[in-house]
Amino acid sequence: MDLLSNLIILLAGGALALPGIDFAFKRRVPGGRLPGYVAVAVLVASSLLVGFSATRTLEPAFASNLFRVDLLGVLFSLAVLLVSVFVAIASLDYVERDPNIGVYYSLLIFTALGMVILAFAVDLLVIFVAWELMSLPTYVLAGFSKRDPSSNEASIKYFLVGALGSGLILYAISLTYGLVGSTGLAETFSALTRIISEKELAPLAVLSLALFIGGFGFKMAIVPFHMWIPDAYQGAPTTVSTLLAAGTKKAGFVAAIRVLVIAMTALRADWTITLALLAVLTMTLGNIAALTQRSITRLLAYSSIAQAGFIVIGLAVAPTSSLGLVGALFHVLNHAIMKSAAFIAAAIVIFKTGREDLANFNGLGRRMPFTAFALTISMLALAGVPPLNGFWSKFVLFTAAIQGGLPWLAVAGILNSILSLGYYGWLIKRMYLDDFEGAVRIREPANLSAALGIGLVLIIVIGVYPTPVIELARNAVLST
Amino acid sequence: MPHGFEPLLDYFIVSTILFAIGVYGLVTKRNALRMLFAIEIIINAANLNFVAFSRYLTNPNVTGQTFALFSIALAAAEAAVGLAIIILVFRVNREIDVLELRRLRG
Repeated sequence: MDLLSNLIILLAGGALALPGIDFAFKRRVPGGRLPGYVAVAVLVASSLLVGFSATRTLEPAFASNLFRVDLLGVLFSLAVLLVSVFVAIASLDYVERDPNIGVYYSLLIFTALGMVILAFAVDLLVIFVAWELMSLPTYVLAGFSKRDPSSNEASIKYFLVGALGSGLILYAISLTYGLVGSTGLAETFSALTRIISEKELAPLAVLSLALFIGGFGFKMAIVPFHMWIPDAYQGAPTTVSTLLAAGTKKAGFVAAIRVLVIAMTALRADWTITLALLAVLTMTLGNIAALTQRSITRLLAYSSIAQAGFIVIGLAVAPTSSLGLVGALFHVLNHAIMKSAAFIAAAIVIFKTGREDLANFNGLGRRMPFTAFALTISMLALAGVPPLNGFWSKFVLFTAAIQGGLPWLAVAGILNSILSLGYYGWLIKRMYLDDFEGAVRIREPANLSAALGIGLVLIIVIGVYPTPVIELARNAVLST
Repeated sequence: MPHGFEPLLDYFIVSTILFAIGVYGLVTKRNALRMLFAIEIIINAANLNFVAFSRYLTNPNVTGQTFALFSIALAAAEAAVGLAIIILVFRVNREIDVLELRRLRG
């Protein structure tokens, strides 16, 4: 059996079994935590499966014209499965008393399954199906706090924008199919190159690529398509925001890399400047908007938009620099870890105090020392302070920008990193220097802290010793 | 020009108009149900494309029709999720105008 079939059986089996398990054991297991433990076990098993396969030679998948098991897919699915594990562990505390807990974990695993299939798909049909499998459960998860008006609002806004994104992708695929007569990525782009040079049908090919950028852009949170992000992240349960920011957004990038970058290489450098401008716009707008936020989840949402800009740098210079995609991949992996850690730290604070405004973070260093420390480290990593993991991936990205002949892009990136220290530093100052009236030590919930601890260890370990991960990313790019 | 190209053009014009109507609806309407319909129209524009291309390409194949079937099923799932969310929002807020929902502000 190849890796992908095993993953599909494991994840789909787990997701389908969970509501049943929940129903059968609801009254017998105290606290109703059983579905959570099953979900964590399934997700950990899948990540181990993927993790071990990275060191061995990969068997081809069962339908090799639809799926391609390569290192790029392995790396991405490892990243998204890690995020799902974090989210599942954090949810053990966060959604403990919800009556629909079995469904919650089931939807979480379905999302993970969609992201894993997306990471390996090389046919537009499978990409679209996986895209929907990943998106539909997250619409429901965003509105999971049924009686909470903010959760409702987040859910409906996210749904409308997400469905529009899927619609655009579907129309783009239909145009591509009409031009090429096939949906396999490999044939598609060799044919597209021919069509672009023919001039007569070129506008249609360009239109379909623009629709692809739009459709994927909604998930990736690139700037003209970003307006739903802060609302969705703020209103959704914070563990679900973690999944959206660190998981499905990354899946948007893997689809974009599979579809756009290969296509762009075929279309040569025409799109480099467009994407470079999008990158600068995304970074700058995200960072400036983050400076004025008063809610931690909104701040992290805007910082997440800014980080998407950094990843787009890598996509923009991919045709001219071999390091571009390596940097993008590396930053995707790092950002998944850093952002999960930051969101989980925010989840701990919201869970324990019920407040998400930044004033609530005053004196957090004394009230919740571990959470405050972990949040500080993850924010420093997000800002790109050495020797944490965010520094190395930004370093690779900026080197790629200079190598690719766009030094101004590197300069914009460095300036933006400094700008982002503005709001991260402000929050760190609040946690350690400001006082909170009537501050008492608050006990930090065990499972949430465990998830945060794993994230923290990964941030520091990859920061101190990044070589194996960079090598893995380099091999992944070579394997496409 | 390949044999039988003309009908393809007609279908393509209809699908482009449908797509434009869908985008127009999404941009101008504020009622969540109308926006859901607009999205459905976009999806159906794409389905029409798939089926028409599948029949009238220079070398016709069934991939397009398969794709249309998949996308109809997915659109149904999407509509189910969307309607469920809209009902939930109406129950809690007594309102499905997306501009009236503005609890979440920075």
